[in-house]
Amino acid sequence: MAASQKLHSVGRDWRERDVRVVLAALMIAVATVATIALFASQLQRTLVTSASTFLAADRQLDVENGRPIPHSWLEEAHSRGLRTGQMVEFSTMVFGGDRFQLVSVKAVSDEYPLRGDLEIQTREGGPRETVRSGPPPGEVWINPRLLRLLGLTLGDTLEVGNETLRVSALLLREPDGGFSMSALAPRVMMHKNDVAATGVIQTGSRVEYVYLFAGDTAALESFGAWLKPQLEPSHEWRSVRDGETLSRSLQRAERFLLLGGSLAVLLAAVAVAVASRQYAMSQRDTVALLKTLGLSGPGIARLYLRRLAIWGIVGIVGGLAIAIPLFWILASMLGNLLDRPVELYFDPNAVFPALATAVVSLFAFAYPPIRRLRHVPAMRVLRSQPTGEHKELWRDGVLALVAIFGLVWLYARELDLVVALLGSVVLLLLVLGLVGGVLIAGLRQIRGGGNAWRLALVGLYRHRGASLSQMAVFGMTIMLAATLLLVRTSLLDDWKAQLPEKAPNHFLINIAPDAKDDVAAFWRERGHPLEHLYPMVRGRLTELNGTPVKEAIGNDKNIGALNRELNLTWMDSLPDDNKIVKGEWFTPGTVSGVSVEAELAERLGLKLGDRLTFTVGSETVTEPVTSFRTVQWDSMKPNFYMAFPPGGGLDGLPATWITSFYLPPDQKTDLNAFTRQFPTISVLEIDHIIARIQEIIRQVTLAIETILGMILAAALVVMAAVVSATLRDRQREGALLRTLGGRQSLLVRSTMLEFGVLGGFAGIVGVLAAEAAVYALQYRMFEGSFSWHWSVIVPVPLASALLVSLLGRWQLGPVLSVSPMLLLRRLE
Amino acid sequence: MNQMTNPNADHHTPMLRVTGLSHRVPLETDTLTILQGVNLEINRGESVAIVGRSGSGKTTLLGLLAGLDTPSEGSVELDGAMISQLSEDKRAELRASRVGFVFQSFQLLPALSALENVMLPLELAGMDNPDRRARELLERVGLGERLNHTPRQLSGGEQQRVAIARAFACEPVVLFADEPTGNLDNRTGQAVSDLLMALNREQGTTLVMVTHDEHLAARCARQLHIEAGQLSEPTAEESVS
Ligand SMILES: Nc1ncnc2c1ncn2[C@@H]1O[C@H](COP(=O)(O)OP(=O)(O)OP(=O)(O)O)[C@@H](O)[C@H]1O
Ligand SMILES: [Mg+2]
Repeated sequence: MAASQKLHSVGRDWRERDVRVVLAALMIAVATVATIALFASQLQRTLVTSASTFLAADRQLDVENGRPIPHSWLEEAHSRGLRTGQMVEFSTMVFGGDRFQLVSVKAVSDEYPLRGDLEIQTREGGPRETVRSGPPPGEVWINPRLLRLLGLTLGDTLEVGNETLRVSALLLREPDGGFSMSALAPRVMMHKNDVAATGVIQTGSRVEYVYLFAGDTAALESFGAWLKPQLEPSHEWRSVRDGETLSRSLQRAERFLLLGGSLAVLLAAVAVAVASRQYAMSQRDTVALLKTLGLSGPGIARLYLRRLAIWGIVGIVGGLAIAIPLFWILASMLGNLLDRPVELYFDPNAVFPALATAVVSLFAFAYPPIRRLRHVPAMRVLRSQPTGEHKELWRDGVLALVAIFGLVWLYARELDLVVALLGSVVLLLLVLGLVGGVLIAGLRQIRGGGNAWRLALVGLYRHRGASLSQMAVFGMTIMLAATLLLVRTSLLDDWKAQLPEKAPNHFLINIAPDAKDDVAAFWRERGHPLEHLYPMVRGRLTELNGTPVKEAIGNDKNIGALNRELNLTWMDSLPDDNKIVKGEWFTPGTVSGVSVEAELAERLGLKLGDRLTFTVGSETVTEPVTSFRTVQWDSMKPNFYMAFPPGGGLDGLPATWITSFYLPPDQKTDLNAFTRQFPTISVLEIDHIIARIQEIIRQVTLAIETILGMILAAALVVMAAVVSATLRDRQREGALLRTLGGRQSLLVRSTMLEFGVLGGFAGIVGVLAAEAAVYALQYRMFEGSFSWHWSVIVPVPLASALLVSLLGRWQLGPVLSVSPMLLLRRLE
Repeated sequence: MNQMTNPNADHHTPMLRVTGLSHRVPLETDTLTILQGVNLEINRGESVAIVGRSGSGKTTLLGLLAGLDTPSEGSVELDGAMISQLSEDKRAELRASRVGFVFQSFQLLPALSALENVMLPLELAGMDNPDRRARELLERVGLGERLNHTPRQLSGGEQQRVAIARAFACEPVVLFADEPTGNLDNRTGQAVSDLLMALNREQGTTLVMVTHDEHLAARCARQLHIEAGQLSEPTAEESVS
């Protein structure tokens, strides 16, 4: 009975326009935030999955010290529903066709690869085959270069330690081949079960055990959490995000999703705030009436709290009813785009921010104005203006900012982001308040209309209160939408620049100095000119300021770069995508010094002027550090930790050359001819990696565009809600102006101009505030550089002026179609 | 100001001529006839009171006379212009330049101050210094001290006086008033009717008003009765009694 009464009252409320606006705002708020959050978490998973092929798994556990992990760890993983696989990597000499060769062996279990696939050739020069597992026991797959180095043909045998294995295929590509040029020795892939029989692995040999894990994210995370406390220093638990190749792209995509979600929270909060505040204001007469009917202050509080709670529930349910199907649609769109089914992932945690946003902004904005009325005598409520006292407005304003940014913080948990957004919103409000206030005060001079322009300006002044607050909301909405638009544009541009359509997708490594010209000619003739050629000298960093390097930096640090030979190079000019962060690049003619990659330098704790000693073969080279450089590891170009000047420390040392070029997929057969003609040169095929990255970028682009679209739609709705907040007043005024003899066309033009000016002004301030926000975000979150975006700054205010003036025209609609008499009767 | 004056409209044509006027509105199932067969002529400078029971169609008639609506049948000629045949925009121009209207429910804009409400028609007409004129008018209706108060803060009678000041603002040649003293006490009502009569006398403004106030009706030169949508004009003897 009580329930039916409540339902009845909700039904009655629904007939009130302000209530409908509140409910609509709530639903849109929940729908936008929930959809974006759900989609973001889905996308994050999909991204990580498609990037996982780079690890051949979702996670890897790398063990460098040559001792396998306890079997119980794998059992634990299985019990959590994870799939596992194993690899053993080591270097050894192999014997075949009367020749010896140092190779890098990767022995894999049956399950390898858990993610991704391999490409092999079972006939020399034959078709490329894609397979989903490694060689069976008793067989090896080898790199084409090794075949030539040893003078073998397919079907011959290869001796690995004590074991003789049949060479059954050429290994062209492995998913986790990655992009490390360190593996210069040609690859031999064999089955893990054959390793023991080879007898190659002795205690003390340098062996890397790699354990592969795949499964659903929750299980991976819980297993990771279980595992971490037991890891030893030599163990490394890696996800694809820790890799160099993709981490930056993924990170930036995730940041974008976070930003998009935060903006959605902000917009949603503004929408609910505007609507619920409007509702609260419209309830003054009802509150007064309830008081005259004898309802007590607490009674009123209870009544409204209960109402708000009911709407909150209705809004949330309605919003989720929109969000969930929308999310399914978006997720399956993602699947279509990827040409493979996407495992749908409904993250319940993603829904929470939406609910918090709806409920907090509903209560924070609707309740205080009503609560204040509790103690005011009914008559005074009726006789006062609903704008409230200044002090109270300030208090509400601060409460509003705290509530809204509390929500953003709750969602993003990222101080930089919250500060950047809060800062620009406050800046925007100050500028709008100041400039808008001054402008409107200036309008006071214009009295009397006659033409549409003057009437519009008079109108702006007449509605100054509403004009200023609408300007604030428009400005904020435009700022949020423009921020996302700007970040999106610069992200997409960046990606395009980073991976142009014909980015080099093949590397040639180990080019002998005298073969340089022939190699260049070979590819030039086929229409695939080479990119820059870099010399490469293999050397180990051994001493820092005369002390053995491991001692100098502390033995407990496990830095991979110290355990292996590094690629050293010399170059005269800094590559375009490298940046000097400290020190100076070599001036022409300089022959001393070394430039070190900045991150490695930091891990080693290097300072400018430190002397580094490298051992190259039997020689040593000592040079002072003259600069630190950042390197774009994901640029898919040759990158070097250490660079010397031409004629510097590396002069006279044995060098080979490395280069890259673009080879279209339909011309891969040229590689057969190439390997025949240059058997000692390694070809590193990264076209699949590049294709994968491009696919990831496509996904992220789709996501970005979708989220941008949703934000723009939400922004439009917020603006419409703001305009509709004054709808009744405006229509009454329009009707009255018509009875007073205003022509319809004059009314239309002056209203559109008035709103156009308002929208244009809000647009200008909004877009400038967006630039400020982007400026703040860009450095900290997206590592981009800042520049003015004229392609956004100019059109946005124009679009905003047009849009707002159309909104003004729209709200005037009903005033124009019927006779003034009827209008006045209706509005009574 | 009178650029709209119809050249045919000299002092001999009536200010208002209504012939065969009927007004019907569609209801859910059938139509409601509010006015039927109304014929009426009002001369320049005349003052006319329309009396009748609640719901008899007074407001509807006044609205049709002022060109705020178009009749279902018949014609209305105001100051020489056939307003029932004019386009809505032409009617608007006519209203702006020559018609004043005081609504039964005032129709003040709640968000604007008294001063701004009175300035509205002046701004619309593009008049210079609309605030000075609006101030004068408000002073004249005794609200010189309440310029910046909004309708909510004013009493019913004060709101009515603001509405009257607004109706006077553009110096109309004909003023329609729907129960202008309906909410006023005797003394204020008296003051308002004095104001209206003075306007009628001094500026020759034609006055057409709906009123329940017998006293005010008696001060008008003519009284018209409306009942169930039909208009009748009692003889002089009848109306005095
Ligand atoms: N647009 C409309 N739709 C439906 N009914 C209408 C409409 N306009 C007027 N009426 C009806 O026509 C009748 C006359 O209305 P009107 O407002 O003219 O009465 P009135 O004489 O002014 O009454 P009062 O003295 O109470 O103001 C009323 O019954 C009213 O409900
Ligand atoms: Mg009436």
